[in-house]
Amino acid sequence: MATTATVGVSSWGQERRKRNFQSVFKTSVLQPVPRPLSSGQNVGQSVPDLLDLSERERELEHHPYLSSRRDHGYRRRAPHLSSSSSSSTQREAATTQPQPLYPSFSTPAATNDHQLVYDRAWHTVTSRIALPASAAPELQQPFHKRGSDSEFYDAFRILTEAKSLLPRATHTQDVVAWHARQAREHFIKHVVPLLEVCVGAEGTRHLGVEKSKYYERNMVIVMSSVKALENALRWYSDGLNELLSGFAHLPSLSPEQIDRLASLSDRFRRDVHALVASSAPEGLKNSIRIVLVRLASTILGMPAEGERRRPSPPRDDDCKVLATNKRLAELVGQLHNVGLTGERFEVLFAQVMDSIMSKYIIGAYGGVWSDVDAASTFPAYVDSLSRKNGGTTGPVATSSCIRLLEDWVEDNFAKLNVQVLNWIGAKPMSLTDLKTAKSLALGRLAALRIDEMYDIVLAWPNSRSALDDLRATITTPARRLQLKLSFSRVLQKRLLHPGCSTLEILRTYISIIRTLHALDHSKVLLSHIEPALQLYICHRDDAVRVVVSGLLASPEEQEAIKKFEEDKNKQKPPQKKSNKLTELASLLSETAQSQRGLAVVSDEDNDLDWDDMTWVPDPVDAGANYKRPKSEDVIGTLISALGSRDVFIKEFSTIVADRLLRLSGNAQFDQETLVLDLLKRRFGEAALQNCDVMIKDIKDSRKVDAQIVKEKGSKQQQQQQQQQQPLTTPVRGAAPQPKQQENIEEKGIEYHARILSRLFWPKMEREHFLLPKPIVEQQTEYEKGYERAKLGRKLTWLNQLGQTRVELEFKDRRTQSFYCGTVEATVIYAFGNEGDDDSEDSQPVKKGIQELYMELQMDEDLVTAAIKFWVERGVLRRVGGADSDEYVVVETLDGGDDSRNIIGDAASGRDDEEEQQNAAEAAVTPLPKVVQALSAKERERRDVYWRYIQGMLTNARSTMPLAQMSMMMKMLIPEGFPWSNDELQEFLAEKVDGGEMEVVGGKYKLVKK
Amino acid sequence: MSYMDDSQNSAPGSVPASKVGGARKPEAGQQATKRLQTELMQLMTSPAPGVSAFPSADGNLLSWRATIEGPEDTPYAGLTFKLSFEFPGNYPYQPPQVLFRTPIYHPNVDFSGRICLDILKDKWTAAYNIQTVLLSLQSLLGEPNNNSPLNGEAAELWDKDPALFKTKVMDRHKDLDEED
Repeated sequence: MATTATVGVSSWGQERRKRNFQSVFKTSVLQPVPRPLSSGQNVGQSVPDLLDLSERERELEHHPYLSSRRDHGYRRRAPHLSSSSSSSTQREAATTQPQPLYPSFSTPAATNDHQLVYDRAWHTVTSRIALPASAAPELQQPFHKRGSDSEFYDAFRILTEAKSLLPRATHTQDVVAWHARQAREHFIKHVVPLLEVCVGAEGTRHLGVEKSKYYERNMVIVMSSVKALENALRWYSDGLNELLSGFAHLPSLSPEQIDRLASLSDRFRRDVHALVASSAPEGLKNSIRIVLVRLASTILGMPAEGERRRPSPPRDDDCKVLATNKRLAELVGQLHNVGLTGERFEVLFAQVMDSIMSKYIIGAYGGVWSDVDAASTFPAYVDSLSRKNGGTTGPVATSSCIRLLEDWVEDNFAKLNVQVLNWIGAKPMSLTDLKTAKSLALGRLAALRIDEMYDIVLAWPNSRSALDDLRATITTPARRLQLKLSFSRVLQKRLLHPGCSTLEILRTYISIIRTLHALDHSKVLLSHIEPALQLYICHRDDAVRVVVSGLLASPEEQEAIKKFEEDKNKQKPPQKKSNKLTELASLLSETAQSQRGLAVVSDEDNDLDWDDMTWVPDPVDAGANYKRPKSEDVIGTLISALGSRDVFIKEFSTIVADRLLRLSGNAQFDQETLVLDLLKRRFGEAALQNCDVMIKDIKDSRKVDAQIVKEKGSKQQQQQQQQQQPLTTPVRGAAPQPKQQENIEEKGIEYHARILSRLFWPKMEREHFLLPKPIVEQQTEYEKGYERAKLGRKLTWLNQLGQTRVELEFKDRRTQSFYCGTVEATVIYAFGNEGDDDSEDSQPVKKGIQELYMELQMDEDLVTAAIKFWVERGVLRRVGGADSDEYVVVETLDGGDDSRNIIGDAASGRDDEEEQQNAAEAAVTPLPKVVQALSAKERERRDVYWRYIQGMLTNARSTMPLAQMSMMMKMLIPEGFPWSNDELQEFLAEKVDGGEMEVVGGKYKLVKK
Repeated sequence: MSYMDDSQNSAPGSVPASKVGGARKPEAGQQATKRLQTELMQLMTSPAPGVSAFPSADGNLLSWRATIEGPEDTPYAGLTFKLSFEFPGNYPYQPPQVLFRTPIYHPNVDFSGRICLDILKDKWTAAYNIQTVLLSLQSLLGEPNNNSPLNGEAAELWDKDPALFKTKVMDRHKDLDEED
């Protein structure tokens, strides 16, 4: 507080004093007499020779002005010392002593003559070098060259040699120090505000200016500031030079004095520079930063504003860069001259370079993952050169990104640094600094790649180069950790949410496996990232199915996916990606080929391969018992991620069964066998025995079928799959049922069957319906043939699983043939005309769903589905209103209904017509009753549960509470008991309602019959 | 994060296995209980008429209760008999110990319910199961092996005095209470 008060007071007093001085000396010199800058404490130091107190007091008796301030501890004879609290005194003194102070010194005793002379000399010198009360650059000539040079030199001599010339002048002072002080004061008072004006005015005026002007504006700020500073500094040094020339004119100069002079000038400059550096306004620094960023960016190859290109190292002959470099040199030189290149500037410059490095790396390498991109901007010979180097130095291939980046750091980044440091005369950059800069750059690159990791994974295998970057840069545990954490986070955010299909997740998972394996052969990284993924995949019910069907994808589908990949590479708009995980199938065949030789050796048990010359230790973050997997093994990893192997095997057999039944007669099941072998290696033979048997069944079926066919003869084809019912033997451990295929030929129908061993195939429901009569005949024949061939075995037909080729003949067309299931064939057969006639008058057959239901004894759902199938193919159409469930055959395409002939047994007439809207049809479908809504499987399950409950209450204990029953069921049913207590209670309540159970005292019991 | 360490080196999939069947007898019993579970499933999905069996209410899979209905045209028609099965830990390589818990008057069953049946002794093979045992016992009710009786009187009466035999059967038969 005291200080601020001082400023106000002193400036006020100063004005007055100036006026006083001017009235006497007619000079505009501000403060010709030394004065301290701050409070009284400093005074002692700045007064060269202190009087002893008694002498001063004596003197002060004659010195009204000084006496007035004795109380304040001022011991200076300076007439207008600023004081911290004496404003009133000062004012009083000034008014009561209107005479200029100077003469007052001469009035006292004669002993003050010397002092008087000294004071005069002092005045002569100081008025000559006094600074103007302004910092405006327009004042080109600040000094009033009053008096001749000789006068000045004389006076100067008096001052410097006061001790010997004027021994009695007690109040003497160092004039150089005085000049330093006045310069400092001038700077604070005039230059700093001027600088602030420069910055502030520009800053506010252009606040809304668009970005492109940004740099120009800041450049203006910097330049004007620099100019102002230059100006001021020139004045200061001019003043000093005057003084120095004074020294030079001294008659005798001792060697020490010469030395002192030399250092004097240096010290003065240093002081002034320190002053400038420490008091430059913040806005100026910002402007300098902006200007530096712009210039350095250009030099380092960053694209200019609005320029659409990646940053790249500039060519040596780029004029723009050379010009910019020159400009920067000028600027830095100017800044250096005005003292703005101190430590703060170094820090500032370091920050600028730092931010440019980050931007450069992100700009130049962000999203660049393939060598191709980088190589195009880079001469090929460098590539081959460094490759040669890489070959000699070690197995780790340096990616082109890293090579380019290191070159950039060395050729551009470090070079600029060296230049600038050189210009400002700072400590030059050492080789260590260069290395640091390189490792910094690599660290930035690593951070960039880590951020991009997820996209890199998606882009696999086109992102190998990026992985090389990562492998080369991720060298510390901290970075590995960062990679793990950031990647896991991204996974959660981008992949593991309900918006992603299971297929997508699995596909990404495959990429992750391959990418991370490429990155880290030890798989430790993968094992850290996997758990979250696996956990999530386990929640997806269809994951197993997707994987299995992917494994079993046919070669054609694999071709399609390859084509898709090629399209993608060619930047063509890709077709829709296959909805199967066909990658797995191709992988499988690849690994099958490449691993066949290795399979024997590479079993998991071999701990260490002592001959492995490329062995490296496990990464530090590997777990204690970490076991290094040998190969990439995408499929293995994926399967193990799916959780329980039982679940997997079960799903696998279901799908295999489905495919085996669907494949045409001559398929070889290569893909299935391949997958099976793979899974056997993983899970063991026993677990997959069922699948083995299934494949064998189908193959055996062919033989048996051929045998039976031999005995018969027929023409038309129909394949029927059948399930053989094993004889019930009371003895456990009955041999598995063989499979058999039958073929009956008769009356133009070709009839084949596949014989499945019941226990080894997944549970298949028997759907009951009446097959067309000719088929039934065939079936019976076949059955007989089979029973002859395999004594003691019986066939149970699974009619709904068959496939048929149906030929339909319409009135207006020739024939059309379809492949369809037996259900569809049966339904359309029911629409067939019995006769062979082509008579024009016969009406198309019309049947309703209910009618078919009765006629075929087929489940209504199946009937409806089959009708829909034929409607979609234009064979049937609905007649009557939307509520009708009657359908007729579309005999002629123009809409007329005609008779239709059946050719062959399984064939029926057909027509093409527009499809009925599915919506309308859905309305027709009678809603099944609730019980019917339960799927067959569900119904069977309920039956089994009921038997459990009966068995439990019959044998274990006749009455049981609900909770105990639930507990028992959960314990005893191998697949688990999915019902909650509530569901069980509901089920039991049904039984109670049905009179089969009763509740006694909160416990259930069976009703005794 | 703990699951990371657990699952790092071990294949997942052990979870459902431990859920099933309970960790009652860890080693030999494990195989036996698994087999018994399978048998139970078979019994439930394809039951044989007149016989049924189920693990006892205390949840011990090695201890079962079974029921046989007396076959028609035998002195036991209309009666139901309760039995207990105690399975050894190495079942099915050893036969279960089977007892009639319902008192029964039969040439091959003694008064404490022990049964003389070859397949439960030296003729046992692992191919037999609960259902076959029960069916054998059911047929034993109609066709006792009177050459090696445990109950000599019954063996004698079986041929000599079917009426008296029937009376003795009815006298001896007593439905069990339900507390166990």
